[in-house]
Amino acid sequence: MNIFVCVGSSCHLRGSAKIVELLKNAVKTNKLEDKVTLSGSFCLGKCTEGVSIKVDDQIICGVSPENFDEIFKKYVLDQL
Amino acid sequence: MNNLCTDVGYRSINKHGEQLCGDHVEIIEKGDNYTVLVLADGLGSGVKASILSTLTSKIISTMIANNMSIEDCVSTIAATLPVCEVRKVAYSTFTIMCVRDNSEAEIIQYDNPQVILLRDGKNYDYAKNVSEMGGKTIYTSKIQLCENDVFIAMSDGAIWAGVGKYMNFGWQRENIIEYIERLYEPNYTAKVISTLILDECNSLYGNEPGDDTTVAAIKIRQRKPVNLLFGPPADPKDANKMMALFFSKEGKRIVAGGTTSTIAAEYLGTEVCPDLDYLDPDIPPTAEIKGVDLTTEGVITMTRVLEYAKSYITDNECYYDWSTKRDGASRIARILFEEATDINFFVGRAKNPAHQNPNLPINFSIKMRIADELAECLKKMGKRINVSYF
Repeated sequence: MNIFVCVGSSCHLRGSAKIVELLKNAVKTNKLEDKVTLSGSFCLGKCTEGVSIKVDDQIICGVSPENFDEIFKKYVLDQL
Repeated sequence: MNNLCTDVGYRSINKHGEQLCGDHVEIIEKGDNYTVLVLADGLGSGVKASILSTLTSKIISTMIANNMSIEDCVSTIAATLPVCEVRKVAYSTFTIMCVRDNSEAEIIQYDNPQVILLRDGKNYDYAKNVSEMGGKTIYTSKIQLCENDVFIAMSDGAIWAGVGKYMNFGWQRENIIEYIERLYEPNYTAKVISTLILDECNSLYGNEPGDDTTVAAIKIRQRKPVNLLFGPPADPKDANKMMALFFSKEGKRIVAGGTTSTIAAEYLGTEVCPDLDYLDPDIPPTAEIKGVDLTTEGVITMTRVLEYAKSYITDNECYYDWSTKRDGASRIARILFEEATDINFFVGRAKNPAHQNPNLPINFSIKMRIADELAECLKKMGKRINVSYF
């Protein structure tokens, strides 16, 4: 599974750095290093709705530290 | 004609407690091929010294730039300077450095510490002729230039640094030579060399300089073009034209902006591979595009570059940040400030709808202002700037 985090200007200002950190931690805690590849993306084209992430071909917008656990479970853990 | 150019940079610090600097540096550039730098140090300190040194450097630089002889300059100075009430003398020491066609330098020195010439980073002893003019002993030298020659002029505040504080007899010219030989890197600009020496003087003074101190440097270097792409074109139909022009230019290429880098990668038939490392928590990560030397995010990164540029042309206090860090903004700063002599800006005027959100600290007018202000700052650094809008 490939996960991209948008690190473009808008998403950056909305806190991409925090989401990257949460994702790195979540991958580690769930021991998914072999199954999940994390990378950055310069712009997913959803600038008004960031922070945006892309899990394989699906774009998920509005990711925040508050809803992160829920989104990680729904789009990552439950899909594996 | 050769492919060399003259990079000039200087910095001053005031005597502790003074608001004005008694040293003055005047630079005149006539066309591409003639640069005159005059460093004058007025008698005493404060407003009197400031007036003496400003008059001296203005008069000499204007006269030299208009091909008047050094004898005429010296006699004019002697006849013009106001006489000090207390000391009954009109006095300002000076150093003149003229560079012609980037191939020959003429150095004329009166009572300032002798100019240091670094050739390939090592001290080079050049010949000096001594003559008397109006009762003053003047040293003149003519030097054939080589690439990477660095001339360093200073006021006597530099060699007095540390007297009675950290050293018995101050920091002699030989110590300054040893210091800068040890630190020298070929990529250092004239401004950086001045900054390194001046900061060391300031710390030897314990941050309370006992005299006005100025260091001015001239570096002879190769011209080096750099191209910077910032923002997608207002009309998407112009994208190919913009990319074709950008990629046809000689020199390093920097692409700044998310959408912009996607367009550039498409044009090259490759992909943008962003990094996920936040080397500076405030600056978005950089990316890789095959065929582009540096790819970064746009507005936030460029705002930081502009801050660094504004610092560079004034006190250069951010130097120790951008000169070593590896984030996108620091890397752009190093390429633009240190490597480049000629910079081609390709500025796209597209509005990003996401940036028009009033809750975000970025918008279209800010982006345009960044490009204009950065171009202005780079011009003040002595670079040739060419801006095209799309």
